[in-house]
Amino acid sequence: MSKPANDTLSVPRDPIRHANFSIPFWEGTRDKKVMVQYCPRANQYQWFPRPVSLFTARRDLEWREVSGHGEIFSYTIANVGNGPFRGHEPYLIALVRLDEGVNIMANVIKCNLDEISIGMEVVPFWAPLADGTNLLMFQPAGA
Amino acid sequence: MALRDNAIVAYAEAKHVMRSGRDVWDYAGEILDALLERSGLERAEIDGVIFTPSATGAKTPMWSQSCLDYLGLETSFTDTTDLGGCSATGGVARAAAAIDAGYCETIVLINADTPSTEDNLIMRSFHHEWADPEGLLGPPGAFGLLSRRYDHLYGLDSRALGKMAVAQREHAVLNPNAVEKLRQPITVEDYLNSRMIADPLRLLDCVMMCDGGNGFVMMSKKRAKEKGYSRFVVPTGYGERTNYKLSENGLEPTESGHRVAGEKAFKQAGIGPRDVGSFHPYDDFLIAMMIQFEMLGFCKPGQGAAFIHETDLRFDGDLPLNTSGGQISAGQAGLAGGGTNLVEAVRQLFGEGDARQVKNIGNALVTGIGWIPYGRNWGSSTALVLTPDA
Repeated sequence: MSKPANDTLSVPRDPIRHANFSIPFWEGTRDKKVMVQYCPRANQYQWFPRPVSLFTARRDLEWREVSGHGEIFSYTIANVGNGPFRGHEPYLIALVRLDEGVNIMANVIKCNLDEISIGMEVVPFWAPLADGTNLLMFQPAGA
Repeated sequence: MALRDNAIVAYAEAKHVMRSGRDVWDYAGEILDALLERSGLERAEIDGVIFTPSATGAKTPMWSQSCLDYLGLETSFTDTTDLGGCSATGGVARAAAAIDAGYCETIVLINADTPSTEDNLIMRSFHHEWADPEGLLGPPGAFGLLSRRYDHLYGLDSRALGKMAVAQREHAVLNPNAVEKLRQPITVEDYLNSRMIADPLRLLDCVMMCDGGNGFVMMSKKRAKEKGYSRFVVPTGYGERTNYKLSENGLEPTESGHRVAGEKAFKQAGIGPRDVGSFHPYDDFLIAMMIQFEMLGFCKPGQGAAFIHETDLRFDGDLPLNTSGGQISAGQAGLAGGGTNLVEAVRQLFGEGDARQVKNIGNALVTGIGWIPYGRNWGSSTALVLTPDA
C-alpha cells in the first residue's frame, strides 16, 4: 500500500457552474487565496458558501481570507471513480478541518496511500482549471 | 385525533427485479390493484394518495398529478413526500395528519421506482460545485469518509458489519420478493473479501439499485373498525429530524438525527429500545444500521459492534433485523426503497411473515434515512413505531 495516490491533476474535470454567492471563493482561487464565509453575529466560519448564515439564517455574511492550513478530519481511498475520474483510481478524498473550524472536502495529493492519517497537517495545493480559477487540493505540510 | 387514531389496513409489495424493463407506472398500477384487492375497497372510496418520489420521474416536477393521471384516480388530497429514503415512513405520518385534519378519509400510499431501468436523477445541490470536482462517488464516497471517522473515534469492527450482512442475506433467501441474484447465502468472509469501493467501504457494505414498488392503505382506526377490518397496524410513535445540529461545525458524522427522532417516537409510543419486537432500520450501508443502534439507544455510541456481536439478529432471534433482507439484500427500489423495510414490518405485524415470521409481534420499529449531505451524517432521520390493533 506504499504506493502514491493518483494526483488526479490530469483528470479532465467538467466546467464548474458557480452559484452567485460562491463567486468570492472562486475569484480568490485565481490568486491562490482561500476565502471562507464568516458570520459576524455568530463569530463563526461556514463552509461551503450559502446564501444565508448557517448560524442565524441572516444575510450579513463576510468573506475572510484564511491560511488554508488544516488537518485531515477523515479520508477515503477512492478505488472506484465516476465519469472523468474513471481509470484514475486510486485517489484520495479527504475532509480537511481548517484551523478556522470548518471541514472542506478535497483531494489530497503528493501523499502515499499508507501515509495519510487523521490528524495529519496539510496545506493547500492549487490545481489549475480551464477557466483560470484553481481547484483547492491539499498536500502534506512540509511536502 | 392523533397519530395513533389511524390505521394501516392493507399493504402490498411487488417483486424486486434488476433492470425489469417495466415502466414506473406499471409498478404503481400493480401496487394500486393489489391494495384494492387486499383491502376490499372500491376505487371511489379512495380520496387521498401519497407518493414517494422516483428516480425515474426525477425530471418531472408535477409528479403527484402525473402518477394520478396514469392511475385514473380523483382525489381530495394528494402529495409526494420529498424526503429521500425517509419518504415512505414520512408518508405514513403525513397520511395520518391529513386524515386527522379531515382532508380525506381513505389514503393509499404508493411507492414505486425503476432506477435500474430508467434513472433520471440529477442532484441539483452542493454536489456539482463542491463534490463532483473532487471525484466523490456519491453515497459510497460519503460513507467511506464517515466510516473512516468512525474507525478513528471507536474502531471499525468489520466482523460486526459482516454479521449484519450475513443475517440480512439469510432473510433475503427466505423472501421471494427479493432480487433473485441476492437470494444466495454469504459468509462473513465473503463480506470481508469483497472489494474496497471507497476504502474502508466495501462492495458488500452497499445497496444495489433495482426496480420495485410497495404501498399501503390508511384510514382512521374508527373507520377501520366500522368497515370490519379484523386486523390492522397502528402507527403509535413517530419522530423526524432533518439537518440534525447543522449549525455545529464540530459535529461528528457518526451523530445522526435518529437520536432525537427515536426519542420522540419511543416516548409517543410508550416503549423503549428494549421493548422493540423487530427492528427494520433503513439500510443503504451496513454502518448506517450500526450507527442507528447507537443513536436510537439500543447501546451507547461506539458500542454498536459489541451490541451486534451479542445480539441474535435473525428472524427467530433476540432482535430480528430487516427480516426481508433489507435493501442491502432485497435490493434498493430507488426512492421507493424506504418502503421496503416498512412493508416488511407491517407484514410481520399482520402475522404474514411465512418462513421468516418473527415471534414478537407486539410492535416493530422502522426507520428512514434521507439524503446524504456534505461531510456530515445524513439529511433526514425518521423513526416509526408500529403496533398491531393498538
